[in-house]
Amino acid sequence: MRLIIRDDPTAASKYIADYIIERINAFNPTSERPFVLGLPTGSSPVLIYQHLVQRHRAGMISFRNVVTFNMDEYVAIPRDHPESYHSFMYKHFFSHVDVKPDNINILNGNALDLELECHDYEEKIQRAGGIELFLGGIGPDGHIAFNEPGSSLRSRTRVKTLAYDTILANSRFFGNNLDQVPRMALTVGVQTVLDAREVVVIITGAHKALALQKCIEGGVNHMWTLSSLQMHPHPMIVVDEDATLELQVKTVKYFKSIEMVTNELGFRQKLPKKRDSLIGEGTLLAPGFQASGIKLAVPQFDISRSASPVLEPMSARLSGEEASSAPVDLGHIADQPSIRMSARVGG
Amino acid sequence: MPSIVPMQGVFVSAQSFSGVIKFTNCLLVKGNALVKEDLWVSSVSGKILNGQEILYEHRTAPEEIVDLGGRILSPGLIDTQLNGAYGFDFSVIPEEGMASYSKGVLRVNRSLVATGVTSYLPTLTSQPSEVYQKALPFLGPSGTARDASYGSESLGAHCEGPFLSPTKNGIHNASVLREPTNDISDLEDCYGITNLQAASPIKLITLAPELPGALPSIQALTNHNITVSIGHSEATYEEAKASIKAGARMITHLFNAMRPLHHRNPGIFGLLGTPSSSIHKPYFGIIADGIHLHPASIKIVWNAHPDGLILVTDAMRLAGMPDGTYDWTNGSRIVKQGALLTLEENGKIAGSSIQLVDCVTNFLNWTGASVPEALKAVTETPARMLGMQDVKGTLKEGGDADLVVLDLQDVEGGEKKFVVDEVWKFGVKVFDRAPRP
Repeated sequence: MRLIIRDDPTAASKYIADYIIERINAFNPTSERPFVLGLPTGSSPVLIYQHLVQRHRAGMISFRNVVTFNMDEYVAIPRDHPESYHSFMYKHFFSHVDVKPDNINILNGNALDLELECHDYEEKIQRAGGIELFLGGIGPDGHIAFNEPGSSLRSRTRVKTLAYDTILANSRFFGNNLDQVPRMALTVGVQTVLDAREVVVIITGAHKALALQKCIEGGVNHMWTLSSLQMHPHPMIVVDEDATLELQVKTVKYFKSIEMVTNELGFRQKLPKKRDSLIGEGTLLAPGFQASGIKLAVPQFDISRSASPVLEPMSARLSGEEASSAPVDLGHIADQPSIRMSARVGG
Repeated sequence: MPSIVPMQGVFVSAQSFSGVIKFTNCLLVKGNALVKEDLWVSSVSGKILNGQEILYEHRTAPEEIVDLGGRILSPGLIDTQLNGAYGFDFSVIPEEGMASYSKGVLRVNRSLVATGVTSYLPTLTSQPSEVYQKALPFLGPSGTARDASYGSESLGAHCEGPFLSPTKNGIHNASVLREPTNDISDLEDCYGITNLQAASPIKLITLAPELPGALPSIQALTNHNITVSIGHSEATYEEAKASIKAGARMITHLFNAMRPLHHRNPGIFGLLGTPSSSIHKPYFGIIADGIHLHPASIKIVWNAHPDGLILVTDAMRLAGMPDGTYDWTNGSRIVKQGALLTLEENGKIAGSSIQLVDCVTNFLNWTGASVPEALKAVTETPARMLGMQDVKGTLKEGGDADLVVLDLQDVEGGEKKFVVDEVWKFGVKVFDRAPRP
């Protein structure tokens, strides 16, 4: 688990946007081998989308070979309804970038057979090669997508009845009229999210501090579905200072120190291990293509984020022995007085 | 004056593909707000599209993305009172005959569109019956072909007269003025019976409501789907109110050619302050050229009825022509000095030669209106007056893709100035002030 703490929502959002851009560009997607991106809606990700759009306009990122899967959609509200997630995605992202319309996937809450729609959605994700990076947000009760408290941590895409809390919270978008708020939604399951090769979650604001605390410091618990991320090999949570209000000082310091150390050593905190996803894809290819598939994958290793020549051995160490090497470094740092630590950062 | 840029390239390529164009990085004029949104249009249908539907339902990506660099994207401007321009007068039948007249209209349309006016009402001043009968067939709605190369589009003719008050004739020739004593039959006799039937070329008629037979005429015209405006009139407040009850919707160039406001008898002007619940306040035309009206008067009426204010040019054939003295009808001559036009013999104001976009600039600077409020007076409000608010003067889905790209420049003295950078008609670019090489 990585926890990145930034001063405010803007800085946290920018971090995630830059991270996604870096991941897509390093992946170097083609139309045959697109980058598959899972996307959320809600207030937290708005700034992330803004930043992605700005970067796209500046020519720094193209989404031409990106396939997107959205997390959820209300049942039985018109697609053009201003509060539908179709509208949200159009307004904040799709209308501003060059994602190919055919590569956009959002659950259809008006499908005749909702069960079938959900089943097909899972299959579509499989056909696209699985989700490379799932971006998410959470509710104040720790739900990811519409996986409300009590959702099975093994759940798949399905029809979900919304919790009373969620309906109350959403009523502000529907003229404060509870009768107007959709009662059901289609949503990817917790397991659908966990199946992604990487999960990145944004959590900002004091009102989500308790949820963050439960998900990081508490145990895996279906009442806080995001806590399932503890079982994921490559999760990253990016938060603002407000969201850390309920965390122990020790926890905050620990995660901050990890980021500091990696920065000092000349590379941002990346896990080269996630590159295993590319190998996985290579072997997934049909036998006839295997040779070329491997060729495709190999240069990906070369395009590592090794801005500094130091990175190669360093990243090898992290990827090989992440568990043992990290505590050693941290133990070393932790011995040092905090004043000296901050002095070093300032320098 | 910039000329029209040929845009064949755009047009040809649009025909062979989806023709979906997305305007981005622009400020859309929507209601009383400027909204940072994209606008999707089709150069094939010439209409404004629902971008969300295009994306999700038709799975179509835009074929062309137009980055407007943060400029304003407004619906095309609408002028409901234009007597002529570029040396052509809608009220004069040329000696060469009607073929020449038809060419003249087309020439005006093509030049006019470059000023941002994408649709308008070609306006006839008071004329003898034969002029109406000859001219009107050429002035009816011209947008049916939806061909951008035709330039600006007539939404139908505006007949300003001849059923006007002989004492408020302005520069209209008093000898041709008439009274609709026998109401509709007099109108039929004047304009030609076919011109008042279904699919009439006439969209708007200005008449004086105090004339005998005027009220039943207003009712009859309204039943024929012809909008009535009152003006060139001596009407009292009560007479004006009766005309609104009969169906009149507008006041032609408010203040000009009518009784001034008297505090005990407010006249036509009083309609803007009507306490009556039985009538709606009418729309009203305003000539914001700095000559016809004092800026303070404009601000007063805007505050009185902001949703009714329609900016018009009342420009005549000398609009777009160099300064000088020009022959007018019946042996009179008109002196043009900038935007100011006067009759040589008596110095009376003889229409204007201002461009509509400059009226918007004046209005913006004089009233403190916001940019969308100022543009509304030449887009949404005139369209609503004409009952065409779903098709013209709007950026809503299904409306015609008649668009103007405006640059709002700072000028000396802290004032602002609208400059027409691009004009699009039916989703096709027809004017570009500074075309990229």
